[in-house]
Amino acid sequence: MPTQIVMDYKGDTRHYFDLNDPESLARAEKRFKELTGQGFTAAVRRGPGEVIKVSCFAPNAEETVFFPRLVGG
Amino acid sequence: MFLSRPPLSARRARLVAFREFWSNYFGDNTREARGLHLLREWLSPYQREQLEVQGYFDVVGCDTGRKYRIHHGTAMNVHELDPMDRPKTGWCFVPHGSLVAGDVMLAQKIALETFEAGALSVARPFVPNTRLGY
Repeated sequence: MPTQIVMDYKGDTRHYFDLNDPESLARAEKRFKELTGQGFTAAVRRGPGEVIKVSCFAPNAEETVFFPRLVGG
Repeated sequence: MFLSRPPLSARRARLVAFREFWSNYFGDNTREARGLHLLREWLSPYQREQLEVQGYFDVVGCDTGRKYRIHHGTAMNVHELDPMDRPKTGWCFVPHGSLVAGDVMLAQKIALETFEAGALSVARPFVPNTRLGY
């Protein structure tokens, strides 16, 4: 089942959605837009260890990871 | 009246079993453990092996082709390497907020591999500690 993994202070929060359920899909797309709108970076895996940054909702990605905007330490 | 406590060996065995259960259940369910698990899943087989054996893994910047070494940690843990794989410059950048080490390292890997210039534009350079496993 496709998963959106959001990095936060709790470790990571996982949101599963069903490609065949329009409501679930719409919620996932809304979450994607909200998070990226807040400055989160979204990335998906293309192969073992190979990642790409995405700017549009990718429903067919098995896992999409979100992390907050980067800051200098 | 004749109830007696179980023998010491039985109590010890129960204690060992409880400790094992506690460690297996809660050990894998801490936020730190989950972060490291996620990181391992997203690393390439070579990077995963490096992390297990050396405590760091290398990534190649998508814009410049430069090599970076990401050490276990949540700050000042990224070193740019020279052609001899020696630390050249340290780059300090982290995702905003309080994230665990595994999540920080995964964010740094994704950043350098997919938008290196953007990541370095917010990063602060520092002189790397050369005693860190080189």
